[in-house]
Amino acid sequence: MSDKEKLFQERLNRYLTVLECGKPDKVPVGFSVGEWIVKYTDTYLQEIYYDLNKAIEITTQEIDRVLRDLDFDLFRGGPSLWWPPMFDAFGSKLYRFPGFHLPKESTFQYVEAEYMGPDEYDDFIADPTGWLVKNYLPRINEEFAEPGSYRASIALLKSAAAYAMQGNIMGAAAQRWRKEYGLVAGTSGFTKAPFDTLGDTLRGTKGILTDLRRRPEKVLAACEALVPHNIAYAMIGSRGDTTLPCSAPLHKGAYPFLSREQWEKFYWPTLKAVIEGLWAKGKRTWFFAEGDWTPYLDKIAELPEKSIVFVIDTTDAKKAKEILGGRFCLFGGVPTTLLTYGTPQEVKDCVKRAIDELACDGGFVLGPGGVVMGDAKRENIIAMTEAAREYGVY
Amino acid sequence: MGESKITSFVPEPGTCLPWRIKKEEFGELAGDEEIVKAEWEKLDAFAYAFIWFWVQR
Repeated sequence: MSDKEKLFQERLNRYLTVLECGKPDKVPVGFSVGEWIVKYTDTYLQEIYYDLNKAIEITTQEIDRVLRDLDFDLFRGGPSLWWPPMFDAFGSKLYRFPGFHLPKESTFQYVEAEYMGPDEYDDFIADPTGWLVKNYLPRINEEFAEPGSYRASIALLKSAAAYAMQGNIMGAAAQRWRKEYGLVAGTSGFTKAPFDTLGDTLRGTKGILTDLRRRPEKVLAACEALVPHNIAYAMIGSRGDTTLPCSAPLHKGAYPFLSREQWEKFYWPTLKAVIEGLWAKGKRTWFFAEGDWTPYLDKIAELPEKSIVFVIDTTDAKKAKEILGGRFCLFGGVPTTLLTYGTPQEVKDCVKRAIDELACDGGFVLGPGGVVMGDAKRENIIAMTEAAREYGVY
Repeated sequence: MGESKITSFVPEPGTCLPWRIKKEEFGELAGDEEIVKAEWEKLDAFAYAFIWFWVQR
């Protein structure tokens, strides 16, 4: 076994210990590479969005640079979420990308709309995958507007090929980072709350909020229809892996987007069903609770023990520890706003507080509580990581 | 086989064109069915993930 492989196993074991709410030798540390690294390079966002190899190269350079002096366990990256050529080939209306629609230094934008009409619920519920292929894909992709046409056939070929290419390139990068640096990915696979699947892309925020009053039974039925799909999508995306948790970025469930009554009726039951369904297959959920989830901690505590990793963004950390600690692994402790607007000393103080409050009996990973934004400061991320090692030894 | 394509079915979650449908169209296979089925299902799962990628953003 190489030294890097030994390091990988050591870090992985540390992570697996806290996933089981145990206490390892040190508090595991999560490190995120995102758009923030671009400002420390001679390139710009359009290039790293469009050129995947360039994105991987500058990520590797950043790892090289920080790894000289830093030690951390989990790695999330690289710098961009999407590979625009896959969207461009399909004529996607969903996004605006740097250098295509937006200035080359901009981040991406999502174009929200009612891509599913209020009168289409029944067709969607009856056959979700069929409805997506026959209605949604042609509607959101201009090149695929007339399925069967020359343009649509070519666009489908190119976009699906791009999807495979991106998966292969990113998979190879993850293997490289494991082999050369001993880095552990924090998650495998991706899923969402059914209410978010419905509200983010199909009905849109305005549409689903209207539906809560005008056609609540349709919303409930659609969410229920989505449960087995959100489980299947997670398992396929993780290629059956059950070692690492499945990432679930949660959007419209944060307080106070919905009232408690709405949350309990529309959001929670089917998210719970997805989490329980995955747990029945041995797969944890990385409960990416962006925003504030404090009012719902009592309901979240009802989930099967150890079935989630609860990510603390602006949720009250003390209450999260009090209610969820010992039942689930907790992750976070450092607000992403602090990484942008704070100073290294403020970040260091925050890390100390977080470890004091959250790490005492194990079951905790120190890291950013949300997506590290493009304007985050490298010195703050380094301060976070150094402080975590300084204070996070059991 | 083109004339006997089954067009009315609801694919189960995780599938687009389930093996059960394709098998019905194919009838008996000359060799080891499990090999064909396993590879069919891998590609079917890939297509499923591609379709649902556009919703699960």
